[in-house]
Amino acid sequence: MSGRAWAAAVFSIVFSSAAAAEQNKLAGPSVSVADLGTIRAAVEAPGATAVLVNVWATWCEPCREELPEILRFYRAHRAAGLRLILISADDESERAEVTKFLASVEAGDARAFIKRGDDTAFVNAFDPSWSGALPASFLYDGRGKKQRFWPGSITAQDLEKALRALPKNQKGNP
Amino acid sequence: MTLAAINLAVTLTVSALSLGAPVPSPAAAAKMKSALDGKSVSIADVTGKSGTLVIFTCNHCPFARGWERRIAELGNAYAKKGIGVILINANDPVKYQEDGFAQMQDRAKTLGLQVPYVVDDTSNVARAFGASVTPEAFLFDKSGKLAYHGAIDDNHTDPTAVKSHYLKDALDAVLGGHPSPVAETKGIGCGIKFR
Repeated sequence: MSGRAWAAAVFSIVFSSAAAAEQNKLAGPSVSVADLGTIRAAVEAPGATAVLVNVWATWCEPCREELPEILRFYRAHRAAGLRLILISADDESERAEVTKFLASVEAGDARAFIKRGDDTAFVNAFDPSWSGALPASFLYDGRGKKQRFWPGSITAQDLEKALRALPKNQKGNP
Repeated sequence: MTLAAINLAVTLTVSALSLGAPVPSPAAAAKMKSALDGKSVSIADVTGKSGTLVIFTCNHCPFARGWERRIAELGNAYAKKGIGVILINANDPVKYQEDGFAQMQDRAKTLGLQVPYVVDDTSNVARAFGASVTPEAFLFDKSGKLAYHGAIDDNHTDPTAVKSHYLKDALDAVLGGHPSPVAETKGIGCGIKFR
């Protein structure tokens, strides 16, 4: 192989790897359209030390603003068993837009859903005191018991404090 | 405002009026400027002989926009049947310019609104109701008691796909002197941007 061909091959490999890595980063999570039962099962599934649920929508500016901070918090605690579930209230037809936004904030490692079904049942199942206004966040312990509910925007400080206050040694059985 | 105060404000707004409650009295008398004609009007001014419908809504929220034609149609139609109707925008237009008065005037014209679309310029009327989301309806019966609270119907995007016409059913029940078949619902929507 000529020197020029080697250079082209090396360039091709490097470029492909970089493109694949970029593709991974941009792929975002797989977004499923799910009913309340499926979403609750994901929240309550064993194996996490804590579960953070954030309900958001692409049209909700405060939601879009807080997601990067929530994702940074998640990554800082993921190894310790934190699970993040992002539930979009967008219409099912907006799935591509939801996926695109989640990719733009590099949320590829979170569980992501678009909710389907009755709003009243959905809202009340998460918290009867929740009005339905977005954003909203909920923190569950490792046994699937809700420990905190935040109507409106949250900060990493709120989350850190709440996570520290969770009962210890409650990891569900995988 | 500190973050703690913001969180407290948000928390305080989630406790809405209970069924059977009257229009809170200071809020009932609050004069609010209407985008229809620039005149000031209160909830007490529009109280209907058969009931009163108060809807917190706005221009910018995609959920409010999804329902706006149905809100206009219901408001215009039931105002002619003896229900007093008032649409209230409690959002701070500094946060969303689209919720400014001039934009409300445009929207009122586009929708052909015949009922007042007013500015709650302190957001205190919304606070008094415990309203926190747009759109959020409060329907009072002819004796002034809250008979229905919640969403317009169960599909903000597609009027043809609606299965439960919560507010319309409640309006018909109030007109007929019956309890609303569904008295409380919730709809996901935009949080009110309180001043």
